Amino acid sequence: MSRNLVELIRRHHAVDAPTALELLKEAIEDHGELTDADRRHAAEVSGLPEAAVYGVSTFYDDLLAPRGRRHVRVCTGTACFVAAGERPVEELGAGLGGLAPGERSADGSVSLAETVCLGFCHSSPAVRVDDEVDAGPGAIERAIAGESRPAAEPAWSSLLPEPVLTRPGEWAGLRRALTELGRERLLSEVEAAEVRGRGGAGFPAGVKWSFVAKAAGSEKFVVANGDEGDPGSYIDKYLMEQTPEKLLEGMALAGFAVGAGHGFVLCRSEYPASKPALERAAARAREAGLLGAGILGSDFDFDVTIIEGAGSYVVGEETALLACVEGLRGTVSARPPFPAERGVYGMPTVVNNVETLSNIPFVAARGADAYRALSPDTETAGSKLVCFNERFARPSVYEVPFGMTVRELCEDVAGGLRDGARIKAVQIGGPLGGILPASLLDTRFDFDPLAAVGCMVGHGSILAFDESADMRDVARHLLRFGADESCGKCFPCRIGLRRAYEEFAADAPVQRGRLEELLEALELGSLCAHGGGIPAPLRSLLTHFPDELGLR
Amino acid sequence: MSRVTVDGTPVEVAPGATILEAAEAADRWVPTVCFDERQAPFGACRVCMVSVAGSPKPVPACTTPCRDGMEIRTEEATARRVSRAVVELVLSELPEPPAPHTELAQVAARLGVSGSRWSGAVHAREDDLRHPYLTLRHELCISCGRCVRACDEVQGAFALTATGRGFDANITAGLDAGFEDSTCVSCGACADTCPTDAISEVGLVAQLERS
Repeated sequence: MSRNLVELIRRHHAVDAPTALELLKEAIEDHGELTDADRRHAAEVSGLPEAAVYGVSTFYDDLLAPRGRRHVRVCTGTACFVAAGERPVEELGAGLGGLAPGERSADGSVSLAETVCLGFCHSSPAVRVDDEVDAGPGAIERAIAGESRPAAEPAWSSLLPEPVLTRPGEWAGLRRALTELGRERLLSEVEAAEVRGRGGAGFPAGVKWSFVAKAAGSEKFVVANGDEGDPGSYIDKYLMEQTPEKLLEGMALAGFAVGAGHGFVLCRSEYPASKPALERAAARAREAGLLGAGILGSDFDFDVTIIEGAGSYVVGEETALLACVEGLRGTVSARPPFPAERGVYGMPTVVNNVETLSNIPFVAARGADAYRALSPDTETAGSKLVCFNERFARPSVYEVPFGMTVRELCEDVAGGLRDGARIKAVQIGGPLGGILPASLLDTRFDFDPLAAVGCMVGHGSILAFDESADMRDVARHLLRFGADESCGKCFPCRIGLRRAYEEFAADAPVQRGRLEELLEALELGSLCAHGGGIPAPLRSLLTHFPDELGLR
Repeated sequence: MSRVTVDGTPVEVAPGATILEAAEAADRWVPTVCFDERQAPFGACRVCMVSVAGSPKPVPACTTPCRDGMEIRTEEATARRVSRAVVELVLSELPEPPAPHTELAQVAARLGVSGSRWSGAVHAREDDLRHPYLTLRHELCISCGRCVRACDEVQGAFALTATGRGFDANITAGLDAGFEDSTCVSCGACADTCPTDAISEVGLVAQLERS
């Protein structure tokens, strides 16, 4: 990331100037497409050079597609793909008068765009009209007829004797930290609790915090990564929209432990209800003296800003996330320096996933031992939220202990597949997670056992393919997603994912030897987990379903 | 100071020095495409992969700091395979092979990559000839970021930006209306660093022909 641009942004932030990305979002929401006048205005107000603003305006999905008076966005996430294939895009395009994705009707009345993913994986296919999401059978037809209605979201539940993540926040952890524990004991409790990151990488939160606590900086920040872009996952969506105060409490605790006075939540624009829910919760917390200056009568000041992204999967990677917070192109930067050393505005920054931070209030209120006891059958500490796609009989978000088998989760918790269908395979933890064939469903849902079979906990989504799924189509779908979402920074991902997609999209056999060389270059060469991770499900398919891939 | 070995040769490097700097001190060649010693390391091309004893994966030499006692190998088979695979991918995105005098062509030749087995999409031909001294041929851009960083870090003009994303990533000046309608000061730092001639200076003869 350009240090000069970051310094420019820091100076403009100090005088409360909005970012270039915020200004561009406002402009397209106001008049449906971006003009050079919008870009010049954004440059002038944000302080970013015009060229850099132009670069931002060509990066994010939300800034690219022109909008009609009715803007229809069709979900092309993996759950919707499994439920309906390519039909939603085709049928909507035809029904809206022959629009291709990215087009607006000549009279400006309607426009169509693709989006990944709306987080309604429990009732695909999903269609968003302006800020309302309709999903399930009939959603496409209703969108065409202009009769969309908001889809219901199933209630979440916990399998724990006493729910932790699915219950509302109480701010008891922050009260205890401020009145009883103090900074150092809070930090040591979080370290002892071994809270592993819930966003995919599994890095211990306490270790990250200790780096930031020790780092030198005149200011420090906390960033909650709410860019839950993994198609098939709607866990952070539930956390941000149903228990936002727990996330805010976790951020305040992180700030208290490391010496940060301000936090940012970056939530996805694909979840239109998240930012308003978080802002309402923050306003309530300020009124109650739980955010702001002198929290609960202490000398600790902490407040938050809620930021919305603009349509980019890779912004979920931590360095790209920071670039997006600063209003820059959401591209990945080489580490070191890590955000703990140089984060927002070049200052030491804690970056934790939404679910990770939502675990912290329990650790602060009840201690590391109680947290470690939540999953009694394994060494892994805490509980995990999992979610299921529409193929299942009871798709929703569930809080489970680590260590159950994937079969128990699929069959006992989610009720098996609907209509007596049988599981062919499940993809766990998002598009960068391996694919587990039905023969391996007795694998335990935990970090190490899943890694041993080429899979990962990831975000915790469990996405079933039934026996009608064509695994070559699945490979093509995943690679199209991978290529479309590559940020374009590192060469293996930028070019390699395009080549891999072309191999599977062509009506010809895939050359296995060349494909495996390409997967190796992606795995070993990519700058971040996007290019490095997409090979995992491809490896699974090569191992378990080679006959379906059309190889030679 | 850190003591490391590069292909068996011991060298001492300053604290914070990268593996690439250590290799240079040991007079060992590491292939690079997005690196320019006048700019901060960027880590985009992933061609400078080397192996380090004890590390399960190859590491990029330009952004990996040396640690005391590191044993670095510049030609280890897996690392070299990744470097070659990436250069082969880069050649596949261009509609024509890079000119022999360009840095990309020279790195490819030295790595023994003579062409690409990959076909598929290439960058569309789009040549911006509006500026009297600078030509921007978008089809030759490999998004290494060297021109953008030269304009930012060396010249401070901020006239250039990366555009688009994924395979369609490219570069442009200002609001994409050419160098002259941007904050470009015609310093030529971008053309000087470009490893493919995507940005090049218009030679005297060509200038006369144009006028």
